[in-house]
Amino acid sequence: MAVCCMALALMNASCFGDEPDGCEADIETVTLHVPAPGDFFFQLTDSMQVVFSTDSVITFAVRGDADVTSLSPRFTLSQGATVSPASGSTHDFSSGPVTYTVTSQDGKWQRHYLVSVVPTLVMVTDTLSYDFEHYELETATQRYYMWHNVLPDGSLGNDWATANAGYRISMSTAAPMDYPTTPLAQGYDGSAVCLTTRDTGPFGRMANKRLAAGNMFLGTFDIRIAMSDHLHATRFGIPFTDRPDRFTGYYTFEPGPTVQDFNGNPIAGRTDSADVYAVFYRNHDAAGNEVVLYGDNILSSDMIVAVAEMEYVAPTSQWTAWDLKFKYRQEVDEQLLANRGYSLAIVFSSSSAGGEFIGAIGSRLCVDKVRLICSHEE
Amino acid sequence: MIKRIISTAIIALALSLGMNATVLDSLKYDVRLGYALGGTIPTHMGNEIRGINSFDPGFNFTVAVEVSYPLDPHWSLHSGLRFELGSMDVDSRVKNYDIEVVRGDESLKGIFNGNVRIKTAQRRLTLPIQAEYRINANLAVRGGAFMGWLTNRRFWGWAYHGYLREGTPVGPKIEMGTEPGDRGDFDFDANMRHMQWGIDAGVDWRFSRRWGVFAELTYGLSGLFKSDFHSVQTLRPLYGTLGIVYRIR
Repeated sequence: MAVCCMALALMNASCFGDEPDGCEADIETVTLHVPAPGDFFFQLTDSMQVVFSTDSVITFAVRGDADVTSLSPRFTLSQGATVSPASGSTHDFSSGPVTYTVTSQDGKWQRHYLVSVVPTLVMVTDTLSYDFEHYELETATQRYYMWHNVLPDGSLGNDWATANAGYRISMSTAAPMDYPTTPLAQGYDGSAVCLTTRDTGPFGRMANKRLAAGNMFLGTFDIRIAMSDHLHATRFGIPFTDRPDRFTGYYTFEPGPTVQDFNGNPIAGRTDSADVYAVFYRNHDAAGNEVVLYGDNILSSDMIVAVAEMEYVAPTSQWTAWDLKFKYRQEVDEQLLANRGYSLAIVFSSSSAGGEFIGAIGSRLCVDKVRLICSHEE
Repeated sequence: MIKRIISTAIIALALSLGMNATVLDSLKYDVRLGYALGGTIPTHMGNEIRGINSFDPGFNFTVAVEVSYPLDPHWSLHSGLRFELGSMDVDSRVKNYDIEVVRGDESLKGIFNGNVRIKTAQRRLTLPIQAEYRINANLAVRGGAFMGWLTNRRFWGWAYHGYLREGTPVGPKIEMGTEPGDRGDFDFDANMRHMQWGIDAGVDWRFSRRWGVFAELTYGLSGLFKSDFHSVQTLRPLYGTLGIVYRIR
């Protein structure tokens, strides 16, 4: 950071020299224009994607019968950056992803992106299984774990998200097993996932965000706003084409010794509570705008169709089964369901009030063998 | 090195003063009161700084008691004790700015685009050693070196309304808000040097037997921060002081 003296303040802007060239090399948005978007996309809003800075794989899930042999994605890039092959050039996406390379304006930095357009069949399954057996250290930093779910065709998906990337901002020295969300080798059945409320260290104290609840959810984590608007960094839900009926699994929950308030002061007589719930919601509003539920409205939005929530996560060190029925607040539109118009969020947190930085450091919620049991008839 | 030269000079002056009563008789005493304009500047001005949103030089004043020992009709030797109170508040716009914030064992570094607010405050006790050349009865120029000790030092601020590319320009993009907790606060008090030294030069104009005005430029050579501190680029204090001087004797 530079500090400038009085003399500088008196100078005019020309004294600052030419503006430096951009050094960033991001694809910021991708747009796919096709002649009949209604026949190509499940939802019209699917034609444009905002790309997270941490993503280098961009996937368009399109209708199963869509022709993907001749498509011309258009990109917006970091200021001054260039892309090869060019934005708007036509490619065949039927044989897999197309690689694009973005070069920064100053020529010093490059990023490679894989863009896929995948015809997607609407799966009808009775039960979705989440066993937390597939995890690895995040590729770029090797500092924290991330999980993959097993898709119905046996391949690995990225439906689970955690806020581990956000924890790294405040605790760059933390070892992978000291993050809020970690694997547990001996779970109820094979590996499980453990969520632990952690101290955010000196940076956390400086920002008065003194703890990070362990969390794990179906959705995406937007590191961009983790610091400036953390409740909106957790983007809950993935498109879901079945009608969820029951939400089951196994858990252990051991609250940490002392619940602390926002300022880090102990709250006497309070025991920390955990979150275990699943929310099924409409992902487009009446005007056709995409809707995502966040940390501040996941249990209160008008878009919620059904909720399966463990009202009280009773502390237990033994693996304990839960079996929750979705309580429906609205009818399900089968047509909308087939068009990926609903999303499902499963949310686990080791401290319910972690979003307000209230909780007990050390609170630990482990979950395993999670099942979503679906029904196809009303 | 500079410290050693200054201390040698002080000892030499003290010894020469102590040796001879006529020396004591020939000493002149001045009091100076000055207002300083200036602040802390980077040693090189990169184009990463895109503009100044605001600048407040703060309240900076200097009080000094000085003694001078005439060597001949033109030359004299000056020393004394100065007390300087300084502060600054600058808000600038930056692009592609290297930034590293360290807190305990943790650090966050990367490339920042946005706004940076920096506030400083310091109290410094300074011992100057200067040579003065008297051009005529009214006008004299002087120059020399100084050694200062910071009795109080603050350097803090925040990076705000912008974003950090963590690590490198292609690392995760992290937005910084404007409110405490949402922005990137930093506090480098503990990384500041206690001991500072540098050079100064000035001109005195006496308009009466006792009263005069002076102008002085002070440039710190030691830098503001300890040498193992790299969160901000090398910064050096540069002050211009205007004030009045009163001859006690």
